[in-house]
Amino acid sequence: MISFENVTKDYKGGTVAIRDMSVEIDKGEFVFFVGSSGSGKTTFIRLLLREEIPTHGRILVAGRDIANLSQWRIPYLRRNIGCVFQDFRLLPNKNVFENVAFALEVIGRPKHVVAAQVPQVLDLVGLSKKRESLPSELSGGEQQRVAVARAFVNRPLILLADEPTGNLDPATSQGIMRLLERINKTGTTVVIATHDAGIVDQMRRRVVELDHGTLVRDQARGVYGYGT
Amino acid sequence: MPVSVDYVARETASNLWRNRLMTIAAVLTVAVSLSLVGTSLLLRQGVAHATTQWQHGVSVAVFLKPSISDSQEHSVRQQLDQLPYVQSCLYRSQAYDFNEATHLLSPDEAQALTVASTPSSLRCVLNNPTQAQAIAKQFDGYPGVKAVDSPNQAIRNMESVTHILQLVFLILAVILLLSASVLILNTIRLAIFARRREVSVMKLVGATNWFIRLPFMFEGVVQGLLGAIVAALVVVILHLGLDALGNGQTTNIWYQMRLPTHEVVATSLLVLLVGVLIGSVGSALGIRRFLDA
Repeated sequence: MISFENVTKDYKGGTVAIRDMSVEIDKGEFVFFVGSSGSGKTTFIRLLLREEIPTHGRILVAGRDIANLSQWRIPYLRRNIGCVFQDFRLLPNKNVFENVAFALEVIGRPKHVVAAQVPQVLDLVGLSKKRESLPSELSGGEQQRVAVARAFVNRPLILLADEPTGNLDPATSQGIMRLLERINKTGTTVVIATHDAGIVDQMRRRVVELDHGTLVRDQARGVYGYGT
Repeated sequence: MPVSVDYVARETASNLWRNRLMTIAAVLTVAVSLSLVGTSLLLRQGVAHATTQWQHGVSVAVFLKPSISDSQEHSVRQQLDQLPYVQSCLYRSQAYDFNEATHLLSPDEAQALTVASTPSSLRCVLNNPTQAQAIAKQFDGYPGVKAVDSPNQAIRNMESVTHILQLVFLILAVILLLSASVLILNTIRLAIFARRREVSVMKLVGATNWFIRLPFMFEGVVQGLLGAIVAALVVVILHLGLDALGNGQTTNIWYQMRLPTHEVVATSLLVLLVGVLIGSVGSALGIRRFLDA
Protein backbone atom coordinates (compact mmCIF):
# COMPACT_ATOMS: atom_id res chain seq x y z
CA MET A 1 0.00 0.00 0.00
CA ILE A 2 2.74 2.44 1.05
CA SER A 3 6.36 1.96 0.13
CA PHE A 4 9.28 4.29 0.88
CA GLU A 5 12.42 3.33 -1.03
CA ASN A 6 15.59 5.04 0.24
CA VAL A 7 13.78 8.31 0.72
CA THR A 8 15.79 11.36 1.73
CA LYS A 9 14.29 14.78 2.24
CA ASP A 10 16.46 17.74 3.03
CA TYR A 11 15.39 21.34 3.20
CA LYS A 12 17.25 24.36 1.98
CA GLY A 13 19.83 25.32 4.55
CA GLY A 14 21.02 21.78 5.01
CA THR A 15 18.47 20.42 7.49
CA VAL A 16 17.92 16.74 6.78
CA ALA A 17 14.35 15.86 7.76
CA ILE A 18 14.42 12.26 6.58
CA ARG A 19 17.58 10.30 5.79
CA ASP A 20 17.63 7.26 3.51
CA MET A 21 14.43 5.77 4.84
CA SER A 22 12.97 2.53 3.52
CA VAL A 23 9.75 1.19 4.92
CA GLU A 24 6.95 -0.98 3.62
CA ILE A 25 3.37 -0.81 4.88
CA ASP A 26 0.88 -3.39 3.65
CA LYS A 27 -2.79 -2.98 3.02
CA GLY A 28 -4.81 -3.22 6.22
CA GLU A 29 -1.88 -2.63 8.56
CA PHE A 30 -2.00 -0.53 11.69
CA VAL A 31 1.31 1.28 12.19
CA PHE A 32 2.64 3.76 14.73
CA PHE A 33 5.39 6.17 13.78
CA VAL A 34 7.04 7.29 16.98
CA GLY A 35 9.86 9.66 17.86
CA SER A 36 10.43 12.96 19.55
CA SER A 37 9.64 16.29 17.93
CA GLY A 38 11.89 16.91 14.95
CA SER A 39 12.40 13.21 14.32
CA GLY A 40 10.78 13.47 10.90
CA LYS A 41 7.27 12.16 11.60
CA THR A 42 5.54 15.20 10.21
CA THR A 43 7.76 15.28 7.13
CA PHE A 44 6.84 11.63 6.58
CA ILE A 45 3.15 12.60 6.52
CA ARG A 46 3.73 15.62 4.30
CA LEU A 47 5.61 13.42 1.85
CA LEU A 48 2.75 10.94 1.78
CA LEU A 49 0.23 13.70 1.04
CA ARG A 50 2.63 15.08 -1.52
CA GLU A 51 2.81 18.39 0.19
CA GLU A 52 6.56 17.79 -0.16
CA ILE A 53 8.61 16.04 -2.82
CA PRO A 54 11.49 13.77 -1.70
CA THR A 55 15.01 14.90 -2.54
CA HIS A 56 16.03 11.31 -3.28
CA GLY A 57 14.26 8.00 -3.44
CA ARG A 58 10.80 6.83 -4.41
CA ILE A 59 7.46 6.85 -2.64
CA LEU A 60 4.83 4.45 -3.90
CA VAL A 61 1.21 4.69 -2.82
CA ALA A 62 -1.06 1.94 -4.14
CA GLY A 63 1.66 1.06 -6.64
CA ARG A 64 2.05 4.57 -8.04
CA ASP A 65 5.15 6.74 -7.72
CA ILE A 66 3.70 9.91 -6.26
CA ALA A 67 6.74 12.08 -6.97
CA ASN A 68 5.91 11.92 -10.66
CA LEU A 69 2.28 12.77 -10.13
CA SER A 70 1.16 15.66 -12.30
CA GLN A 71 -0.29 18.64 -10.47
CA TRP A 72 -3.90 17.95 -11.38
CA ARG A 73 -3.74 14.39 -10.07
CA ILE A 74 -2.69 15.32 -6.56
CA PRO A 75 -6.29 15.89 -5.40
CA TYR A 76 -7.14 12.36 -6.51
CA LEU A 77 -4.24 10.99 -4.46
CA ARG A 78 -5.56 12.86 -1.44
CA ARG A 79 -9.02 11.41 -1.88
CA ASN A 80 -7.43 8.04 -1.10
CA ILE A 81 -5.77 9.31 2.07
CA GLY A 82 -7.96 10.45 4.95
CA CYS A 83 -6.25 12.81 7.38
CA VAL A 84 -6.69 13.56 11.06
CA PHE A 85 -4.69 16.19 12.95
CA GLN A 86 -3.95 17.14 16.50
CA ASP A 87 -5.92 20.39 16.12
CA PHE A 88 -8.99 18.72 14.51
CA ARG A 89 -9.27 21.37 11.74
CA LEU A 90 -13.05 21.54 11.76
CA LEU A 91 -14.92 24.45 10.21
CA PRO A 92 -16.31 26.44 13.15
CA ASN A 93 -19.36 27.82 11.37
CA LYS A 94 -20.60 24.44 10.17
CA ASN A 95 -22.31 21.86 12.34
CA VAL A 96 -21.18 18.24 12.70
CA PHE A 97 -23.21 16.96 9.78
CA GLU A 98 -22.11 19.83 7.51
CA ASN A 99 -18.46 19.40 8.44
CA VAL A 100 -18.52 15.78 7.38
CA ALA A 101 -20.72 16.44 4.35
CA PHE A 102 -18.34 19.20 3.21
CA ALA A 103 -15.63 16.61 2.53
CA LEU A 104 -17.95 14.84 0.09
CA GLU A 105 -19.46 17.96 -1.47
CA VAL A 106 -16.14 19.49 -2.43
CA ILE A 107 -15.09 16.39 -4.33
CA GLY A 108 -18.31 16.62 -6.29
CA ARG A 109 -20.26 13.75 -4.75
CA PRO A 110 -23.98 14.01 -5.55
CA LYS A 111 -26.48 14.95 -2.84
CA HIS A 112 -27.97 11.48 -2.44
CA VAL A 113 -24.52 10.01 -1.77
CA VAL A 114 -23.90 12.67 0.88
CA ALA A 115 -27.30 12.01 2.44
CA ALA A 116 -26.57 8.29 2.63
CA GLN A 117 -22.93 8.22 3.72
CA VAL A 118 -22.75 10.98 6.31
CA PRO A 119 -25.30 9.46 8.77
CA GLN A 120 -23.59 6.11 8.35
CA VAL A 121 -20.16 7.41 9.30
CA LEU A 122 -21.58 9.55 12.13
CA ASP A 123 -23.11 6.37 13.46
CA LEU A 124 -19.71 4.66 13.24
CA VAL A 125 -18.00 7.37 15.30
CA GLY A 126 -20.92 7.51 17.73
CA LEU A 127 -22.11 11.07 17.05
CA SER A 128 -25.50 10.45 15.47
CA LYS A 129 -27.20 12.40 18.22
CA LYS A 130 -24.94 15.44 17.87
CA ARG A 131 -25.25 16.01 14.15
CA GLU A 132 -26.71 19.51 14.62
CA SER A 133 -24.07 20.67 17.12
CA LEU A 134 -21.38 23.19 16.25
CA PRO A 135 -17.76 22.21 16.96
CA SER A 136 -17.61 24.77 19.78
CA GLU A 137 -20.38 22.88 21.55
CA LEU A 138 -18.43 19.61 21.54
CA SER A 139 -15.72 18.21 23.79
CA GLY A 140 -12.23 17.67 22.40
CA GLY A 141 -12.83 13.94 22.02
CA GLU A 142 -16.07 14.55 20.17
CA GLN A 143 -14.40 17.06 17.88
CA GLN A 144 -11.70 14.54 17.04
CA ARG A 145 -14.42 11.99 16.28
CA VAL A 146 -15.94 14.45 13.81
CA ALA A 147 -12.51 14.86 12.24
CA VAL A 148 -12.16 11.08 11.96
CA ALA A 149 -15.63 10.86 10.43
CA ARG A 150 -14.68 13.52 7.89
CA ALA A 151 -11.45 11.72 7.04
CA PHE A 152 -13.22 8.39 6.65
CA VAL A 153 -16.52 9.34 5.02
CA ASN A 154 -15.05 8.96 1.54
CA ARG A 155 -13.78 5.44 2.42
CA PRO A 156 -10.11 6.17 1.75
CA LEU A 157 -7.55 3.37 1.38
CA ILE A 158 -5.33 4.98 4.00
CA LEU A 159 -6.10 6.90 7.18
CA LEU A 160 -3.28 9.14 8.36
CA ALA A 161 -3.32 10.58 11.84
CA ASP A 162 -0.78 13.18 13.00
CA GLU A 163 -0.77 13.25 16.81
CA PRO A 164 -4.49 12.48 16.95
CA THR A 165 -4.47 12.35 20.76
CA GLY A 166 -2.15 15.29 21.29
CA ASN A 167 -4.91 17.49 22.73
CA LEU A 168 -6.87 14.78 24.53
CA ASP A 169 -6.76 13.23 28.00
CA PRO A 170 -5.79 9.55 28.30
CA ALA A 171 -9.34 8.20 28.67
CA THR A 172 -10.58 10.12 25.63
CA SER A 173 -7.47 9.09 23.71
CA GLN A 174 -8.34 5.47 24.31
CA GLY A 175 -11.75 6.04 22.79
CA ILE A 176 -10.21 7.58 19.67
CA MET A 177 -7.78 4.67 19.36
CA ARG A 178 -10.62 2.17 19.60
CA LEU A 179 -12.37 4.07 16.85
CA LEU A 180 -9.28 3.99 14.65
CA GLU A 181 -8.97 0.28 15.35
CA ARG A 182 -12.56 -0.24 14.22
CA ILE A 183 -11.83 1.66 11.03
CA ASN A 184 -8.73 -0.48 10.55
CA LYS A 185 -10.92 -3.59 10.75
CA THR A 186 -12.83 -2.43 7.65
CA GLY A 187 -9.59 -2.99 5.73
CA THR A 188 -8.32 0.60 5.84
CA THR A 189 -4.60 1.03 6.38
CA VAL A 190 -4.07 3.20 9.46
CA VAL A 191 -0.85 5.17 10.00
CA ILE A 192 -0.47 7.15 13.21
CA ALA A 193 2.38 9.52 13.99
CA THR A 194 2.56 10.10 17.72
CA HIS A 195 4.71 10.60 20.76
CA ASP A 196 1.94 9.45 23.08
CA ALA A 197 3.61 6.48 24.78
CA GLY A 198 0.40 5.47 26.54
CA ILE A 199 -1.60 4.60 23.46
CA VAL A 200 1.33 2.91 21.72
CA ASP A 201 2.06 0.65 24.66
CA GLN A 202 -1.57 -0.22 25.03
CA MET A 203 -2.24 -1.14 21.41
CA ARG A 204 0.78 -3.38 20.88
CA ARG A 205 0.85 -2.83 17.15
CA ARG A 206 3.68 -2.37 14.68
CA VAL A 207 5.97 0.48 15.76
CA VAL A 208 8.38 2.35 13.50
CA GLU A 209 10.73 4.66 15.38
CA LEU A 210 12.43 7.65 13.83
CA ASP A 211 15.33 9.54 15.31
CA HIS A 212 16.63 12.67 13.62
CA GLY A 213 15.22 11.52 10.33
CA THR A 214 16.62 8.01 10.47
CA LEU A 215 14.61 4.85 10.94
CA VAL A 216 16.03 3.22 14.06
CA ARG A 217 13.46 0.53 14.84
CA ASP A 218 10.69 -1.39 13.07
CA GLN A 219 9.01 -3.80 15.44
CA ALA A 220 5.98 -5.98 14.75
CA ARG A 221 4.25 -5.76 18.15
CA GLY A 222 6.12 -2.92 19.74
CA VAL A 223 5.88 -0.46 22.55
CA TYR A 224 6.87 3.20 22.64
CA GLY A 225 10.29 2.81 24.27
CA TYR A 226 12.85 0.06 23.96
CA GLY A 227 12.37 -3.24 25.75
CA THR A 228 9.29 -5.35 26.11
CA MET B 1 -15.30 16.67 -12.59
CA PRO B 2 -18.64 18.34 -12.15
CA VAL B 3 -18.75 21.64 -10.31
CA SER B 4 -22.34 22.48 -9.57
CA VAL B 5 -23.58 25.85 -10.78
CA ASP B 6 -25.59 26.14 -7.60
CA TYR B 7 -22.46 25.75 -5.46
CA VAL B 8 -20.47 28.35 -7.42
CA ALA B 9 -23.35 30.84 -7.36
CA ARG B 10 -23.87 30.41 -3.61
CA GLU B 11 -20.18 30.75 -2.76
CA THR B 12 -19.71 33.75 -5.06
CA ALA B 13 -22.71 35.57 -3.63
CA SER B 14 -21.60 35.03 -0.06
CA ASN B 15 -18.02 36.11 -0.84
CA LEU B 16 -19.24 39.29 -2.54
CA TRP B 17 -21.45 40.11 0.41
CA ARG B 18 -18.75 39.39 2.94
CA ASN B 19 -16.37 41.81 1.17
CA ARG B 20 -18.96 44.30 0.10
CA LEU B 21 -16.90 47.44 0.74
CA MET B 22 -13.97 46.18 -1.28
CA THR B 23 -16.38 44.95 -3.91
CA ILE B 24 -17.95 48.39 -4.23
CA ALA B 25 -14.51 50.00 -4.53
CA ALA B 26 -13.47 47.55 -7.24
CA VAL B 27 -16.75 47.90 -9.14
CA LEU B 28 -16.60 51.70 -9.06
CA THR B 29 -13.01 51.80 -10.26
CA VAL B 30 -13.85 49.49 -13.12
CA ALA B 31 -16.91 51.61 -13.89
CA VAL B 32 -14.99 54.90 -13.98
CA SER B 33 -12.11 53.55 -16.03
CA LEU B 34 -14.31 51.77 -18.53
CA SER B 35 -16.55 54.84 -18.82
CA LEU B 36 -13.46 56.78 -19.86
CA VAL B 37 -12.54 54.10 -22.37
CA GLY B 38 -16.09 54.07 -23.73
CA THR B 39 -16.32 57.85 -23.90
CA SER B 40 -13.02 58.15 -25.67
CA LEU B 41 -14.08 55.52 -28.20
CA LEU B 42 -17.37 57.31 -28.75
CA LEU B 43 -15.57 60.61 -29.15
CA ARG B 44 -13.22 59.18 -31.75
CA GLN B 45 -16.03 57.59 -33.70
CA GLY B 46 -18.14 60.72 -33.40
CA VAL B 47 -15.40 62.99 -34.70
CA ALA B 48 -14.59 60.58 -37.51
CA HIS B 49 -18.26 60.49 -38.33
CA ALA B 50 -18.69 64.25 -38.32
CA THR B 51 -15.50 64.76 -40.30
CA THR B 52 -16.51 62.39 -43.06
CA GLN B 53 -19.92 64.01 -43.11
CA TRP B 54 -18.38 67.40 -43.66
CA GLN B 55 -15.91 66.06 -46.12
CA HIS B 56 -18.54 64.15 -48.02
CA GLY B 57 -20.74 67.19 -47.81
CA VAL B 58 -19.43 70.55 -48.71
CA SER B 59 -15.67 70.79 -48.86
CA VAL B 60 -15.60 74.22 -50.35
CA ALA B 61 -18.09 77.02 -50.52
CA VAL B 62 -17.67 79.71 -53.16
CA PHE B 63 -19.68 82.74 -52.08
CA LEU B 64 -20.92 84.99 -54.87
CA LYS B 65 -21.43 88.71 -54.55
CA PRO B 66 -25.10 89.70 -54.47
CA SER B 67 -24.28 92.01 -57.36
CA ILE B 68 -22.90 89.26 -59.59
CA SER B 69 -24.07 89.28 -63.19
CA ASP B 70 -25.51 86.25 -64.93
CA SER B 71 -22.54 85.89 -67.23
CA GLN B 72 -20.07 86.06 -64.36
CA GLU B 73 -22.01 83.44 -62.46
CA HIS B 74 -22.15 81.24 -65.52
CA SER B 75 -18.40 81.54 -65.97
CA VAL B 76 -17.70 80.56 -62.34
CA ARG B 77 -19.96 77.55 -62.59
CA GLN B 78 -18.40 76.41 -65.83
CA GLN B 79 -14.87 76.67 -64.47
CA LEU B 80 -15.81 74.75 -61.34
CA ASP B 81 -17.43 71.99 -63.40
CA GLN B 82 -14.32 71.65 -65.51
CA LEU B 83 -11.95 71.13 -62.58
CA PRO B 84 -11.07 67.42 -62.44
CA TYR B 85 -11.19 67.11 -58.65
CA VAL B 86 -14.60 68.68 -58.27
CA GLN B 87 -17.25 66.01 -58.02
CA SER B 88 -20.33 68.20 -58.13
CA CYS B 89 -21.54 71.63 -57.12
CA LEU B 90 -24.82 72.70 -55.66
CA TYR B 91 -26.25 76.17 -56.05
CA ARG B 92 -27.63 77.75 -52.91
CA SER B 93 -29.83 80.77 -53.46
CA GLN B 94 -29.62 83.98 -51.45
CA ALA B 95 -32.81 83.02 -49.62
CA TYR B 96 -31.31 79.65 -48.58
CA ASP B 97 -28.06 81.19 -47.40
CA PHE B 98 -29.95 83.89 -45.52
CA ASN B 99 -31.97 81.25 -43.77
CA GLU B 100 -28.84 79.29 -42.86
CA ALA B 101 -27.03 82.41 -41.66
CA THR B 102 -29.82 83.37 -39.30
CA HIS B 103 -29.34 79.99 -37.63
CA LEU B 104 -25.57 80.25 -37.44
CA LEU B 105 -25.17 83.90 -36.46
CA SER B 106 -26.16 85.56 -33.24
CA PRO B 107 -29.47 87.48 -33.35
CA ASP B 108 -27.61 90.83 -33.31
CA GLU B 109 -25.52 89.92 -36.32
CA ALA B 110 -28.45 88.39 -38.13
CA GLN B 111 -30.48 91.58 -37.76
CA ALA B 112 -28.10 93.50 -40.01
CA LEU B 113 -28.58 90.91 -42.70
CA THR B 114 -31.24 90.94 -45.35
CA VAL B 115 -31.95 88.46 -48.11
CA ALA B 116 -30.77 90.99 -50.67
CA SER B 117 -27.41 91.52 -48.95
CA THR B 118 -26.69 87.81 -48.44
CA PRO B 119 -24.37 86.19 -50.93
CA SER B 120 -25.60 83.18 -52.81
CA SER B 121 -23.15 80.33 -52.96
CA LEU B 122 -21.89 77.25 -54.77
CA ARG B 123 -21.24 74.34 -52.41
CA CYS B 124 -18.86 71.92 -54.00
CA VAL B 125 -18.06 68.33 -53.16
CA LEU B 126 -14.47 67.39 -53.97
CA ASN B 127 -13.02 64.02 -54.86
CA ASN B 128 -10.11 64.92 -52.69
CA PRO B 129 -10.90 67.35 -49.88
CA THR B 130 -7.25 68.47 -49.67
CA GLN B 131 -7.66 70.27 -53.00
CA ALA B 132 -9.80 72.89 -51.30
CA GLN B 133 -6.76 75.18 -51.02
CA ALA B 134 -6.27 75.13 -54.78
CA ILE B 135 -9.82 76.20 -55.39
CA ALA B 136 -9.52 78.95 -52.84
CA LYS B 137 -6.44 80.26 -54.67
CA GLN B 138 -8.03 80.06 -58.10
CA PHE B 139 -11.25 81.86 -57.25
CA ASP B 140 -9.96 84.41 -54.79
CA GLY B 141 -10.58 87.81 -56.38
CA TYR B 142 -12.34 86.30 -59.40
CA PRO B 143 -14.98 88.69 -60.80
CA GLY B 144 -18.24 88.29 -58.94
CA VAL B 145 -16.72 86.05 -56.24
CA LYS B 146 -16.95 87.41 -52.72
CA ALA B 147 -15.00 84.75 -50.85
CA VAL B 148 -13.95 81.11 -50.89
CA ASP B 149 -14.37 79.25 -47.67
CA SER B 150 -13.15 75.78 -46.90
CA PRO B 151 -14.05 74.16 -43.61
CA ASN B 152 -10.90 72.04 -43.86
CA GLN B 153 -8.84 74.03 -41.40
CA ALA B 154 -11.62 73.92 -38.84
CA ILE B 155 -11.83 70.16 -39.25
CA ARG B 156 -8.08 69.73 -38.80
CA ASN B 157 -8.17 71.84 -35.65
CA MET B 158 -10.99 69.82 -34.27
CA GLU B 159 -9.26 66.59 -35.09
CA SER B 160 -6.05 67.54 -33.37
CA VAL B 161 -7.90 68.68 -30.26
CA THR B 162 -9.85 65.46 -30.08
CA HIS B 163 -6.68 63.43 -30.64
CA ILE B 164 -5.10 65.01 -27.59
CA LEU B 165 -8.29 64.53 -25.60
CA GLN B 166 -8.42 60.92 -26.61
CA LEU B 167 -4.83 60.33 -25.66
CA VAL B 168 -5.43 61.85 -22.23
CA PHE B 169 -8.58 59.76 -21.78
CA LEU B 170 -6.84 56.58 -22.81
CA ILE B 171 -3.82 57.11 -20.56
CA LEU B 172 -6.15 57.84 -17.64
CA ALA B 173 -8.21 54.80 -18.54
CA VAL B 174 -5.20 52.50 -18.66
CA ILE B 175 -3.98 53.68 -15.26
CA LEU B 176 -7.46 53.25 -13.83
CA LEU B 177 -7.84 49.82 -15.43
CA LEU B 178 -4.57 48.73 -13.84
CA SER B 179 -5.70 49.95 -10.46
CA ALA B 180 -9.05 48.23 -10.98
CA SER B 181 -7.24 44.94 -11.65
CA VAL B 182 -5.15 45.37 -8.52
CA LEU B 183 -8.25 46.19 -6.49
CA ILE B 184 -10.00 43.08 -7.76
CA LEU B 185 -6.89 41.03 -7.07
CA ASN B 186 -6.87 42.36 -3.53
CA THR B 187 -10.57 41.66 -2.97
CA ILE B 188 -10.11 38.10 -4.11
CA ARG B 189 -7.14 37.69 -1.81
CA LEU B 190 -9.22 38.97 1.09
CA ALA B 191 -12.00 36.58 0.16
CA ILE B 192 -9.59 33.65 0.06
CA PHE B 193 -7.96 34.73 3.28
CA ALA B 194 -11.35 34.88 4.96
CA ARG B 195 -11.93 31.32 3.80
CA ARG B 196 -8.47 29.90 4.30
CA ARG B 197 -9.76 27.23 6.71
CA GLU B 198 -12.24 26.01 4.15
CA VAL B 199 -9.63 26.14 1.42
CA SER B 200 -7.15 24.12 3.47
CA VAL B 201 -9.79 21.50 4.30
CA MET B 202 -10.79 21.38 0.65
CA LYS B 203 -7.20 20.72 -0.38
CA LEU B 204 -6.87 18.12 2.35
CA VAL B 205 -9.86 16.06 1.30
CA GLY B 206 -8.89 16.27 -2.36
CA ALA B 207 -11.01 18.99 -3.94
CA THR B 208 -9.57 19.82 -7.34
CA ASN B 209 -7.89 23.17 -7.81
CA TRP B 210 -10.59 24.19 -10.25
CA PHE B 211 -13.28 23.44 -7.74
CA ILE B 212 -11.56 25.70 -5.21
CA ARG B 213 -10.69 28.35 -7.77
CA LEU B 214 -13.97 28.71 -9.61
CA PRO B 215 -16.07 30.59 -7.02
CA PHE B 216 -13.25 33.09 -6.47
CA MET B 217 -12.63 33.59 -10.17
CA PHE B 218 -16.31 34.03 -10.69
CA GLU B 219 -16.33 36.66 -7.95
CA GLY B 220 -13.72 38.68 -9.86
CA VAL B 221 -15.64 38.30 -13.10
CA VAL B 222 -18.83 39.52 -11.44
CA GLN B 223 -17.02 42.60 -10.11
CA GLY B 224 -15.55 43.37 -13.53
CA LEU B 225 -18.89 42.81 -15.17
CA LEU B 226 -20.83 45.00 -12.73
CA GLY B 227 -18.39 47.85 -13.30
CA ALA B 228 -18.59 47.33 -17.05
CA ILE B 229 -22.39 47.40 -16.99
CA VAL B 230 -22.29 50.80 -15.31
CA ALA B 231 -19.77 51.98 -17.91
CA ALA B 232 -21.88 50.62 -20.78
CA LEU B 233 -24.85 52.53 -19.37
CA VAL B 234 -22.73 55.68 -19.34
CA VAL B 235 -21.89 55.10 -23.00
CA VAL B 236 -25.53 54.65 -23.93
CA ILE B 237 -26.65 57.67 -21.90
CA LEU B 238 -23.93 59.75 -23.53
CA HIS B 239 -25.17 58.67 -26.91
CA LEU B 240 -28.76 59.55 -26.06
CA GLY B 241 -27.57 62.86 -24.62
CA LEU B 242 -25.80 63.73 -27.88
CA ASP B 243 -28.98 62.91 -29.73
CA ALA B 244 -30.98 65.21 -27.50
CA LEU B 245 -28.39 68.01 -27.89
CA GLY B 246 -28.47 67.56 -31.66
CA ASN B 247 -32.25 67.80 -31.56
CA GLY B 248 -32.62 66.88 -35.21
CA GLN B 249 -30.85 69.98 -36.56
CA THR B 250 -28.56 68.83 -39.32
CA THR B 251 -26.22 71.81 -38.98
CA ASN B 252 -25.63 71.23 -35.26
CA ILE B 253 -22.20 69.83 -34.41
CA TRP B 254 -23.69 67.40 -31.85
CA TYR B 255 -26.04 66.13 -34.49
CA GLN B 256 -23.16 65.52 -36.85
CA MET B 257 -21.24 63.61 -34.17
CA ARG B 258 -24.23 61.37 -33.62
CA LEU B 259 -23.43 57.69 -34.08
CA PRO B 260 -25.41 54.90 -35.64
CA THR B 261 -26.84 52.53 -33.01
CA HIS B 262 -24.73 49.56 -34.06
CA GLU B 263 -21.52 51.46 -33.24
CA VAL B 264 -22.82 52.34 -29.80
CA VAL B 265 -23.78 48.71 -29.21
CA ALA B 266 -20.34 47.57 -30.37
CA THR B 267 -18.64 50.04 -28.01
CA SER B 268 -20.80 48.87 -25.11
CA LEU B 269 -20.01 45.22 -25.85
CA LEU B 270 -16.31 46.02 -25.99
CA VAL B 271 -16.58 47.75 -22.62
CA LEU B 272 -18.33 44.69 -21.14
CA LEU B 273 -15.69 42.38 -22.58
CA VAL B 274 -12.84 44.42 -21.10
CA GLY B 275 -14.64 44.40 -17.75
CA VAL B 276 -14.89 40.61 -17.73
CA LEU B 277 -11.27 40.34 -18.82
CA ILE B 278 -10.04 42.59 -16.01
CA GLY B 279 -12.11 40.66 -13.50
CA SER B 280 -10.79 37.27 -14.52
CA VAL B 281 -7.16 38.36 -14.83
CA GLY B 282 -7.27 40.11 -11.46
CA SER B 283 -8.84 37.17 -9.66
CA ALA B 284 -6.62 34.60 -11.39
CA LEU B 285 -3.55 36.47 -10.16
CA GLY B 286 -5.07 36.78 -6.70
CA ILE B 287 -5.74 33.06 -6.45
CA ARG B 288 -2.48 31.84 -7.86
CA ARG B 289 -0.42 32.29 -4.73
CA PHE B 290 -2.87 30.41 -2.53
CA LEU B 291 -3.23 27.38 -4.70
CA ASP B 292 0.39 26.56 -5.36
CA ALA B 293 0.37 23.08 -3.94
